[in-house]
Amino acid sequence: MSFQFAYLLSVLPTLFAAALVNARLAAIIVVIAVLGGTALTILRSFKIAPVNAIIAFLISFIRGTPLLIQIFLFYYVLPAIGLDLSPEAAGIAAIALNSSMFITEMMRGGLQTIDPGQIEAATALSLPRRAIWQSVVLPQLFRRILPVLINEITIVVKGTALLSVITVVDVLRTAQQIASASYRPFETLAGAALIFLLMNLVVIAAGSLTEARLAVRRG
Amino acid sequence: MAFDPSILVQYWPLFAQGAWLTIQITAMAFVLGYTVGIVVALIAQIPNRLVRILVAAYVGVLRGIPFIIILFLVYYGLPFAGIRLPAFVTGTVALGLFASAYYAEIIRAAILALPRGQFESARVVGMSPLQAMRHVIAPQILRSLVPPSTNMTLTMIKESSVLSSITVAELTYQGLIVQGNTFAPFEVFAAVTLIYWAITMVVAWLAGLLEARVGQAQQETIIRNPLAAEFLSFDRRPVR
Repeated sequence: MSFQFAYLLSVLPTLFAAALVNARLAAIIVVIAVLGGTALTILRSFKIAPVNAIIAFLISFIRGTPLLIQIFLFYYVLPAIGLDLSPEAAGIAAIALNSSMFITEMMRGGLQTIDPGQIEAATALSLPRRAIWQSVVLPQLFRRILPVLINEITIVVKGTALLSVITVVDVLRTAQQIASASYRPFETLAGAALIFLLMNLVVIAAGSLTEARLAVRRG
Repeated sequence: MAFDPSILVQYWPLFAQGAWLTIQITAMAFVLGYTVGIVVALIAQIPNRLVRILVAAYVGVLRGIPFIIILFLVYYGLPFAGIRLPAFVTGTVALGLFASAYYAEIIRAAILALPRGQFESARVVGMSPLQAMRHVIAPQILRSLVPPSTNMTLTMIKESSVLSSITVAELTYQGLIVQGNTFAPFEVFAAVTLIYWAITMVVAWLAGLLEARVGQAQQETIIRNPLAAEFLSFDRRPVR
């Protein structure tokens, strides 16, 4: 057996088409996770002890167990309590929950680096709480956590590959299907690997561009 | 729906074996990953452009691909090269390889974080090279090494669950087997989840002990300003 580069090239178009599934799922998940993480962060700032205890417990659970198991919980266990989700929906829910917990933790770190004087000034102007979050805290917070957030997005993109385990027909599952027909698993999987590299390079490049633009805006 | 503990009573040996294999695989992959990581980080110190590009490619490729694909590439790639190994060895090698890229980055960053001239200063005050390494360099490197290494090691424990997809009988695989026999997903995944949680908690606790030994961990900033704490902190502290 030798590595056939020509074969790899021949399967790339099919794999690219399947990669759109990963890209779409990752995009949906990132939007939900950023919104969820932000909502959790604002909720935690209210310092309601029992609520924060529950969130801390959830964070510990999400950080302490494998993402694959979390996906299984949504896919196998929820139907047992009467919630039947499609493989895609289960996958989106599992990874978005996972990611939003990590994002609220990043935000907690980011909040500590914001200059307290900013809040003092906003309070002195007697801005309402919502406006302080919207125009003072969040814009700075997103700028602070952008590098780690980009990293988290690449983790989400990679996480979508696990959904092949629960029968979502993504790049990896498509690669496996092609490989089982052609008996060339190595080249096909190398193609899938290449596509993931490419997707993550795009995410990192977009992140760098965003960072640069924010830096310019700040002057 | 009722929780039926009899399933766990009946199948606990499988869960125990799976958990034990998960721990073993992670430990072996940790040794492999850290060793390769140190080597790669040392190679990265060579001031040569080609070397730097190669190291960046090694790290970038392994970090840019999902672990499950790295695992399959090793799983199908080794027989391709005429090497036949048992699945759990293949899985351990893949996990170690995957982790090596992250450890290499962590070690490289720790070396970069060393202020320049530490070694020379230690020599000037009369330490031998070994003493300088032991008393000046090593403690500082360890301090910036332990927290991120802990994080990556916890990631490894979690990623090892993916080895279930190449039939390695670790905890997740055993869970899926029991689930196939009993059709009791709730009990099975509750058990598997709790065992993983326990393993990561114990490892995090041990790493915390190690961290306390090698030096001060980063203290969380306490926002003393009551107005700012309203927005920037999550814990209720009496405002003085």
